[in-house]
Amino acid sequence: MEDQKKQKFKAALREAKNLPTLPGIVNKLTKMADDPETTTEQMGKVISKDHILAAKLLKLVNSAFYGFPQRISSLSSAIILLGFNVVKSLIISASIFEVMEDQDVELWEHSLGCAVVCSVIAKRLGVSEPEEVSTAGLIHDIGKVAIKMELAAEYKQINKMMLKDNISMQQAELAILGLDHAEAGGWLTKNWNLPNKLIEPVSCHHDPRKAKDEQLNSAIIHFSDLLIRGMGYGHAGDDKVPMLSKRAWQLLDLSPEDLDEIIDEVEENLWDVKGFSLEIKGESGDGEMESGEL
Amino acid sequence: MQQILSAQAKEGMILAKDVMTPEDRVLCGKDTVLTNAVIDRLAKMDIMHITVQGHPVKVQGEKTLKEELRDIEARFSKVTKVPPLMYIKKKLMQKMIASRGK
Repeated sequence: MEDQKKQKFKAALREAKNLPTLPGIVNKLTKMADDPETTTEQMGKVISKDHILAAKLLKLVNSAFYGFPQRISSLSSAIILLGFNVVKSLIISASIFEVMEDQDVELWEHSLGCAVVCSVIAKRLGVSEPEEVSTAGLIHDIGKVAIKMELAAEYKQINKMMLKDNISMQQAELAILGLDHAEAGGWLTKNWNLPNKLIEPVSCHHDPRKAKDEQLNSAIIHFSDLLIRGMGYGHAGDDKVPMLSKRAWQLLDLSPEDLDEIIDEVEENLWDVKGFSLEIKGESGDGEMESGEL
Repeated sequence: MQQILSAQAKEGMILAKDVMTPEDRVLCGKDTVLTNAVIDRLAKMDIMHITVQGHPVKVQGEKTLKEELRDIEARFSKVTKVPPLMYIKKKLMQKMIASRGK
């Protein structure tokens, strides 16, 4: 019986009928990326045909959680600097978060804040691709959006139970759905053909021990989620700092001095993303644009 | 450190961050003490926000220091036995107190 219920919820989340469909552009770009003849300029041109998407992408790329010293003004340089996988995830985030921002600004802020912490920690630890870690931080709670959109009635029950029993959102999800937002986020990212470097940190952000290949990245997302909750930036459903995974803490190996500096740096960077919003409709006119540039 | 509207700027406030022009040039450096001349210049350059030291502007609906500290305590209430998290809590509280110090 329980299993049947879980299967039903799983199917609903997998189909994700109510989530915005991925722009066709993602498939087109994926095909292009597989072709060694494709240049980044050509990919930039494809993206820039969708003016609103292009403007959003550049805004995300230039936000404080990537922290590039110079302004990135063209999509082709964004693809070179961030890599195709990150740009693809950003296209997906931009379309999903549009819904999220309308519905749940605070979860969006929590996600942005988490991405900022991820960026600070990943750079400090010398992780090879810090941009991928920030991106994973940005989408780590995507499963919550899916549950809210696809299983609206259960989502209400989850919220009720959370308050009544004073438990975390994840505990309530497990009790009601038999699965949690991390697992749901894992399926979604897998369905979108994102790389394992993004899938594992999303699906293992509550328990980095479950990660097979990406334990360190999962540990960074796990700890960043805790820290940004502690700082009270945004709201992730429930406002309590959850348990710290021992494994994650061992992997991160941070000293008190590291923590002091991380908190200072995060606070500084949060000022820059405060009020950062994907809402740029007013800015994106219908005028002609140079392809690949904004 | 507090981010305020340029319209709320008063003589004697001290910049906590560089003020940048839209072209990303430094208009006014960190640690500058604001004078009326500087404030006029910010207005002329259409600078909307600046970040100043301390917490000079009272914002309506803003939590008091006591409420902020109580909230931090509540957020960490389920992890009181985890030393690294308690260290973070202490640090955040100290920072909160320092930010409201002025």
